[in-house]
Amino acid sequence: MADMRNDKARKDAISKASGRETYVGDLSLDGMIYACLVRTSVPRGIIKSITLPPLPDGYYYFDDRNIPENGRNELWMIQKDWKCFAAGSSGYVGETIGILCGPDRTLLYSLRDQIKVEYEEQTPAVSIEDSLALVGGPIIGENNYHCTVELQAGDGDIDEIMKNAYRVVEEKFSTGHQEHMHLETNGMMVNYEDGKYVYYASCQCPFYIRKSVAGIIGATPEDIIVRQMSTGGAFGGKEHFPDVVAGPLILAEYYLKKPIKLIFNREEDTQFSVKRHPSVVKFKTALDRKGNILAMDSIVYYNAGRYLASSYIVIQRGCMHIEGVYKFPVARTRGYSMATNTFPSCAFRGFGAPQTIFAVETHMTHIAEKLGVDPVEYKRRYLIKQGDTTITNGKIVENVRTPELIEKVCKASDYFEKSRKYGFGSGKGIGFSLYNHGGAFTGNGESAIIKAVVKVCKRKDGTVLIKAGQTEMGQGFSSAVCRIAAKTLGIPYEKVIYKYPDTSVVPDSGPTAASRSTMVPGNLVMKACEELKARWDEADELECEAHYEHPEGYPWDQASFQGYAYLGYGWGACVVEVEVDPRTAETKIKGIWSAHDVGNCIDPLIVHGQVNGGIAQGIGWASTELLENKGGYFKQHSMSDYIIPTSMDLPAQEVYYANEPYKWGPYGAKGMGELVFNGSGAAYVDALSRAINRKIDSIPNPTEVIMGHILHSEKLTEDKR
Amino acid sequence: MTIEFSLNCEHVSIDVDPTKRLLDVLRDDFGLTGVKEGCSEGECGACCVLLNGQLVTSCIIPIAGVHGQDVRTIEWVRTTRLGETIIQSYADGGAVQCGFCIPGMVMASYYLLSNNPNPTKKEIRKGISGNMCRCTGYDLIVESIYLAAKRVGELHKARG
Amino acid sequence: MSEKLHIAQNLEDALLFRKENDCIVMAGSSDLMVSAYQGYGALPKFDKPVLLIRNLEELIGVRRNSDGTVEIGACTTSRQIVESPDTPWVLKQAAGRMGAVALRNSATIGGNIANASPKGDTPGPLYLLDAVVNVMSLDGGRRSIPIRDFIIKFRTIDLKNDEIITSVTIPVSDKDMTYWFYHKIGTRAANAISKLTLCACAKVSWGEVKDFRIAATASGPVTNRSRDVENIAIGLKFDELAAKASEISGAFDKVISPRAMPEFRREATRRMIEFFIDKVSKNSYKKFYN
Repeated sequence: MADMRNDKARKDAISKASGRETYVGDLSLDGMIYACLVRTSVPRGIIKSITLPPLPDGYYYFDDRNIPENGRNELWMIQKDWKCFAAGSSGYVGETIGILCGPDRTLLYSLRDQIKVEYEEQTPAVSIEDSLALVGGPIIGENNYHCTVELQAGDGDIDEIMKNAYRVVEEKFSTGHQEHMHLETNGMMVNYEDGKYVYYASCQCPFYIRKSVAGIIGATPEDIIVRQMSTGGAFGGKEHFPDVVAGPLILAEYYLKKPIKLIFNREEDTQFSVKRHPSVVKFKTALDRKGNILAMDSIVYYNAGRYLASSYIVIQRGCMHIEGVYKFPVARTRGYSMATNTFPSCAFRGFGAPQTIFAVETHMTHIAEKLGVDPVEYKRRYLIKQGDTTITNGKIVENVRTPELIEKVCKASDYFEKSRKYGFGSGKGIGFSLYNHGGAFTGNGESAIIKAVVKVCKRKDGTVLIKAGQTEMGQGFSSAVCRIAAKTLGIPYEKVIYKYPDTSVVPDSGPTAASRSTMVPGNLVMKACEELKARWDEADELECEAHYEHPEGYPWDQASFQGYAYLGYGWGACVVEVEVDPRTAETKIKGIWSAHDVGNCIDPLIVHGQVNGGIAQGIGWASTELLENKGGYFKQHSMSDYIIPTSMDLPAQEVYYANEPYKWGPYGAKGMGELVFNGSGAAYVDALSRAINRKIDSIPNPTEVIMGHILHSEKLTEDKR
Repeated sequence: MTIEFSLNCEHVSIDVDPTKRLLDVLRDDFGLTGVKEGCSEGECGACCVLLNGQLVTSCIIPIAGVHGQDVRTIEWVRTTRLGETIIQSYADGGAVQCGFCIPGMVMASYYLLSNNPNPTKKEIRKGISGNMCRCTGYDLIVESIYLAAKRVGELHKARG
Repeated sequence: MSEKLHIAQNLEDALLFRKENDCIVMAGSSDLMVSAYQGYGALPKFDKPVLLIRNLEELIGVRRNSDGTVEIGACTTSRQIVESPDTPWVLKQAAGRMGAVALRNSATIGGNIANASPKGDTPGPLYLLDAVVNVMSLDGGRRSIPIRDFIIKFRTIDLKNDEIITSVTIPVSDKDMTYWFYHKIGTRAANAISKLTLCACAKVSWGEVKDFRIAATASGPVTNRSRDVENIAIGLKFDELAAKASEISGAFDKVISPRAMPEFRREATRRMIEFFIDKVSKNSYKKFYN
């Protein structure tokens, strides 16, 4: 596939690098005042009273008691369970009690700190284990399940297979909370303009905000306009969470009708925003005498926090990736999204897949070690391929090029030689992982739920404007989509214009999430441009639109989760090499090699940046990014104690591809933004385990945890191979 | 209190609370919004400026601390030859994603290349180690700074 | 409150303000501004007037005194400490690993001492080097206090209300010891807060250990040093040291009192001490160890 990139840089690069780009924090409107949220300070309890200090002129406080009669105290995400205001009870530390507005921020925060809230405290359930044990009594329903999933594929009674197996390997894996730590904190401004509520928001999904908050003041989505501002990183953290910020703001705006700006400080953003789901994944794998896998049974628990948010889909995606890139004769998984009294977990790059992929990869590695086989060799035996049945009993539609990916990373990293040479416990280790990520919404979600529409407009000056709801948050959509349009229309890239979406201007082409933007709306842009090209000479100004149509012959049933879950997966292989200081347990990453199948790189440099960044975040998750929750309170609250990697923590990466063009993507492209997160954690943990010859079954692994493994954990192998 | 200082090579004077953060004065009082607030504790580097030619984080300096001193921000650096070259190299090298850390990163690059025109990639990594980026994994930033250094070197060569 | 913040014009002016006001002395401001932070766009909150001394030239610089000691002005930044040829190696290591580039251009040694944080970067080497903190008050009042006495306990220093830290004096130079060790285990490779830092040095002459010192930070509420532990090593022949390694590390283990991550901190401390002893006992040619 031809490289579509010419020598022109991405559209937003110069503006951003020179400091000219406007983020919401940089925006100032006449008469603007500020807001801050008043939050609960206990993880579980009844709010007995709220006492405000006297508010000076120009300062206002609103909470659920101010919701108009036709309004409802609910945010509408997938369900409407997340309350806009706590209204009498606290389900987690940091639940919004009310919103305080006023012109001077110093005074505003001081007033907030003087608000006294009395609680009748209850015992919180914080961890998955707490939730399963119904600590403090059920939070929801009888068993704390927000939702469950059960999937099974292959012939045979799995319990029977387990009973008759030569050997059953049982293991348990766990991962912790992860904070997005986008450099720009959450923030937005609301204003009342020409009879509409207008948001200027740092967000991924402008249409989500409209839908979510309209009901609070009894309005309709059409009464609301959302204008995305340049968004300083999101990674899923600004998918649904902006609804939580926008909700209280619309109530304040309902009364005040003036520009109100609300920007989180870093401590608020770290402690009081959504996180990646902590997980516990248990495996029971049946082996025959020769070490062949007969069946793999698993249970997946995700800590969803107090409200559902997107956890319904996250647990599904997690379970649908439980087999990783493999095919086992029989597989079963049961997933539980557990309610706890922690801040709700929500979208984070990978959306549930990284947790199960870490678990299955590490499990496969451990089985291989146990059998004395190199993990790469062992994993090769089970690679899923085109036509194979997935755990949802659909088929893999595309040609799967994992063997080439393995070849590339192993050769580039000299994996086999190093694997042999370093062995176990030498202080040096090399680790390997395979992973995939299903692109776009699961199953028929694109046609049943989203129904994306895009428009392309030829304008008098010969430029073409893209109209789509897709946001630019750093991932490069604004440039990639213009390259697609330019190529299709045969016009220069400079002539194609993308603007940050304004819901009153662009059609709803669905959320900027699920690695779908290039793959689905990008493809619609291509189609619309094909029509525009054919009709180019009809008029000086012309608008063409394209609607999503799901390919025929790939059925999906959302009630039973049966059928073709994803038509196009991204695939990846990663090798990480580490060196551990035997004295201090400090770990240095010596090399990172990856190979991916992303269909086609619309803009190779942007894809390269996504690969680098995704792998770095995955390594952060697996290594230093410890976010502890003690009794419902996050212990880390800043960029100095929540430890993301610096430039000195990572070596230069080597990046390779083996791209299989995707039939239904623009110029073969498929989703890749999340894929590149999914595997580096497992490769890192593998390398670390081998370097210290210890079994590691959890994430994260900061230095003190590694020392703990050295002192206490089971050896990976007695074999000094 | 009246604070006087040189801001981007112009003498300025402002009546302001002396404890107000330099960052807030630059953004709110002078509209220099290229200076970003990321962490509020001197950790992330998004608010980097040059104070008497030294790279500092403006979120942890009270405005009184720059009284009688020289402050330069991204809004000045972008007008310089070196600054322009760095920015163009960032664009060409794919260093920019969400962009929020980038003005600060450009400041750190400018400071690095001003003091060490031919850095190794290791020195570049060290030079930007106080500037956190969550998007890029740093590789393309490092490459772009390396590219900028080469371009500046060629400019000097061309001039003889 | 007369003034919210006073910019000192010179040392005398600073001392005068200090005498007349119960105030907070601010140098590089990198710690004080963070603890005073109130939120996005708000003014920092100080409960006393601030005396700003960051630009006082009298308090900036590293110089070697005629008696061979090195004196570092209180407002000298970490970068200036790193760049000075007179800075002892072990202190240079610590200053060079404090935060990252920009922080090292702000943070001062006086501030780092006054902050008395158990995780501070410079106290470890200063304890090791028997540094003395020099303070001054108006009317020529001067005191020189050994750092281990100056830092009384967690976040508490021996500084009177009318005094300002002016400098630290370091009596030991690189050549006074045969071996030096410095290792900071940070939260990450750069821009890191210390999880544990150990520095050590030893003087070996005519085959005998003449001096031996260990200082650990982030291992308790203040930096830990113990002359009793060090005396186990002093007087031994260098090749007798290896046999005493576990006794020394065991004795030092009783000195430290880490609250968080105790196992890690104790284990890593022990291992680093034994590593250093191993090097000394081999009497190798290499002088500096990380």
